Amino acid sequence: MGSRTRRVARRPLFWALVTGVATFCLLPFLWQLLTSLKSNSEISTLPPLLPTRPVFDHYLAIFQDRPFGRFILNSVIVASLTTVSCLSIGSLAAFAIAKLQFRGRNLLLFSALSISMFPPIAAVSPLYLLIRAFGWRDTYAGLVVPYTTFALPLAIWILWSVFREIPDELYLAALVDGCTPFQVFVRIFLPLAAPGIGTAAILVFIFAWNEFLYALTFTSTETMRTIPVAIALFPGLHEIPWGEMAAATIVVTTPLILLVFLFQRRIVSGLTAGSVKG
Amino acid sequence: MRGDRAFLMILPAYLLIGAVAIFPILNAFRISLDRRMPVFGISYFVGLDNYRFLIQDPRFWQSFLNTTYFSMLSVSLELTLGLIMALLLHGSFRGRGLLRAVVLIPWAIPTVVSARMWEWILNPDFGLLNYLLQQIGLLSSPLNWLGDRVFAMHALILADVWKTSPFVAIILLAGLQMIPEELYEAARVDGAGGWQIFRRITFPLLLPFILIALLFRTLDAFRIFDLVYVLTGGGPANTTETLSLYAYKLLFQTLQFGYGSAVAVATFLTVLLISAACILLLRRQSHG
Amino acid sequence: MRSLICRVGSGACFIIVLAALAGCTREGTMKDAEGEMKLVFTHFKVPSPEVLSGLIEAFERQNPGVKVVEEVLPASTDQQHQYYATALEGRSAAFDVFALDVIWIQEFARAGWLLDLTPRLGATRLAGFLPGPVEAATYKDQIYAVPWFANAGILYFRKDLLSKYGFAPPRTFTELSQQAMTILEGEEDPNLKGFVWQGKQYEGLICVALEFIHGNGGTVIDGRRSALRDKKAVEALQLMHDLISVTRVSPPLVTSADEEATRHLFGAGRAIFMRNWPYALALYEQEGSKIRGMAGMATLPSFEGYQSAPTLGGWLLGVNRFSTRPDLAWKLVEFLSSQASQKVLAMKLGFPPPRDVLYQDAELKKGNPFIPPLYEAMRLARPRPVTPFYLMISQLLQPEFSAAIMGVKPPEQALEDASRLMEHVLKLEIE
Repeated sequence: MGSRTRRVARRPLFWALVTGVATFCLLPFLWQLLTSLKSNSEISTLPPLLPTRPVFDHYLAIFQDRPFGRFILNSVIVASLTTVSCLSIGSLAAFAIAKLQFRGRNLLLFSALSISMFPPIAAVSPLYLLIRAFGWRDTYAGLVVPYTTFALPLAIWILWSVFREIPDELYLAALVDGCTPFQVFVRIFLPLAAPGIGTAAILVFIFAWNEFLYALTFTSTETMRTIPVAIALFPGLHEIPWGEMAAATIVVTTPLILLVFLFQRRIVSGLTAGSVKG
Repeated sequence: MRGDRAFLMILPAYLLIGAVAIFPILNAFRISLDRRMPVFGISYFVGLDNYRFLIQDPRFWQSFLNTTYFSMLSVSLELTLGLIMALLLHGSFRGRGLLRAVVLIPWAIPTVVSARMWEWILNPDFGLLNYLLQQIGLLSSPLNWLGDRVFAMHALILADVWKTSPFVAIILLAGLQMIPEELYEAARVDGAGGWQIFRRITFPLLLPFILIALLFRTLDAFRIFDLVYVLTGGGPANTTETLSLYAYKLLFQTLQFGYGSAVAVATFLTVLLISAACILLLRRQSHG
Repeated sequence: MRSLICRVGSGACFIIVLAALAGCTREGTMKDAEGEMKLVFTHFKVPSPEVLSGLIEAFERQNPGVKVVEEVLPASTDQQHQYYATALEGRSAAFDVFALDVIWIQEFARAGWLLDLTPRLGATRLAGFLPGPVEAATYKDQIYAVPWFANAGILYFRKDLLSKYGFAPPRTFTELSQQAMTILEGEEDPNLKGFVWQGKQYEGLICVALEFIHGNGGTVIDGRRSALRDKKAVEALQLMHDLISVTRVSPPLVTSADEEATRHLFGAGRAIFMRNWPYALALYEQEGSKIRGMAGMATLPSFEGYQSAPTLGGWLLGVNRFSTRPDLAWKLVEFLSSQASQKVLAMKLGFPPPRDVLYQDAELKKGNPFIPPLYEAMRLARPRPVTPFYLMISQLLQPEFSAAIMGVKPPEQALEDASRLMEHVLKLEIE
């Protein structure tokens, strides 16, 4: 296992595993899809597994009475800004820790990690005061800044691991050639570190896309609402509209998956893309 | 020169971390030293009293045990499943791109929905799980997953493993993709078999990424909240109450800010110790 | 590719700065427009929001120059509580009027977060309102909130099944068990369950358990001592346990069931009796419902010799003590809790009103026939222990009650443990 350039005939065990993994991941999602197409009276009974007659009411309903498109836009903006800022800031730090010599590198890594050790619910109140003090309630900054901060540990660690694996020879050779560390960083490292960057980007984006607690506490107006808070607002005092929530799941998750599918080719390793030989 | 450059490069990240993340943590430490119940106007310094109470609080230890059990089992399953997924995705085959995208679905679904979805799937009367298990013949009558002392915890673990295995898979996949092709080719030329390649080349080079996945998953598992809150609320009979849930109830339901912060800090310190241990252990492994 | 990365990298810094600036300007638009007085009304998401908005617009017309901004929170009572507690502990003036769960009033009043409304209500205080909500809204003889809508646990039953066996709705739990067992035997339907209720470890469990405990003449607190050690409370919990494990009238799944789970179960025709809040009835009478026309409603049964004791739910309107416009906020509260407004909310949204007289109102009877029959239950509805400690007590009781009904601990043991913990908490009040 591990070959990327050769396509070999795969053993049945391989395909069995692939099918198993795909089923495991897809099954609940497919169930959500089926639920979103069932009428309300059919949702709480089983059998039948499949809807007798697919209805699209739920999909229409999620866009009625609420600017769901606006919520999606807000989430896209917040998640994109978070990803971009987190990766830029994080890759700078990760590069320094991985490649430059200075004292306290391990301490920096560990302290970044320790931020992620704290239960978020205990951080909500003080953060709320902080956000309020800056006047960032109901703004994009009020979400992007905390999200970037709390996504930094993961980004830094992934990028640090990836940068570490890139051989020093590249770096030293380029320095000798007269490039500044920053040029080395941008022109040589980033392409080689593509898998790590892609991975970190996906994880940070999804984190910001799905974050709920801070979004709920720091925004209160409808115009600034993000998707998770919007979905949390689907249930009434007692009723939970399963059909609509299922439809919202499909509407919100499918674009993400499509994006990953379209861009996953670019996440392929740069180390073997022919740059290092001998 | 180098020092300056390094300082500038790490500055933005650590400035942000310092300003935004350190403040709440220090704040929580500070409050945990107080007796603070705003409802009753109580707010005074008590030193380590909250921690003294915590040490003999049976509910805290119950949560601690629940959380530890949950984390150990979840993380092991996630690492195993994630590794299998990553290895599958690393190879080249038709439909690989599609599988990569599909595998990400559980992680991409918003948690607010994911928890409710599992609540629905685990429903004793019309949940998918009971239905499928009965159809296959593994179950004769519906199981009360979330209302049973033993099954509730394991149902939670199932839901968590489903959701987070892709996270592990994608990190390990990044690691696999950093391993130079030449190493594999050289080993194959030397006549090494698949398992040997895995043991001698893949696994050691993957270790740093396994560490990252292990660390971050352990952190997250120890702080698990949303899933437990929606599915069981800590029940039945507190068998699934986790540390974060206990802290939440203290902080936001009963408004006992001092003690709630102490529980949060205790969680933090526990996770700190565990991470330090993991790092030291794996460092020694990789140097050996 | 590389230059793209360069561009993206520098673009990032630019965007961050831009977002920060955008953040500042957005905050600016939240300030009052010239000459307008702004009130913020924070509440949970209501069905058909246009009904509430319509009422608010009417208020704005009556008070020219006033603009009311609605902020909507998720319906989860915990999330709302968290939101308000976080904001009010920080002395926030971000909202003026807000909707409170009936169990928060004592706590918020004690914390000094609610404006004392007694002087504004005048000598009549809350005359004309149901006794339960009034008790919940009163702290140390002062009134801190005005009931907005009320809720009470009721017994749903299958009219068709009960009449088939010649039963009238049961008045005692014993009757209920007997009826259920007879029907289950007669129907021989493996999917049919006898009596479903909410037994998951959450606030709902306390609501149900209190209906048994109060329905047996028991109470929870007696001054500073726990009253749960009493035989009456033990009997009540024992019955709940036996319903599941001995008589098997209730299926084991009740230990993980909340309102929606039981609502769906009964709505699929798979239960004879259900304890739930009134909201379900309207759903059962909708087009496409499997039990349309077959769902009946009755006051909850009790133990022999005692009166039925449905648990009180519902929401009230309060004024933020840190509000910068208390007088205007009070006017909004008065308006929204007026008889006219409550009638509209009852007719269009199904919110049972907390005012006696509306239950005899002919127009309401026509507009929403589900509401007037609830009167008996609303009248008898008992609030959960009326003390600022209630939420703490609830947190202590939930696992103990859950343990008792599941048979993890015998009820005496569970209640003894619960009492010890409760008494420890009750000692906290220093005055």
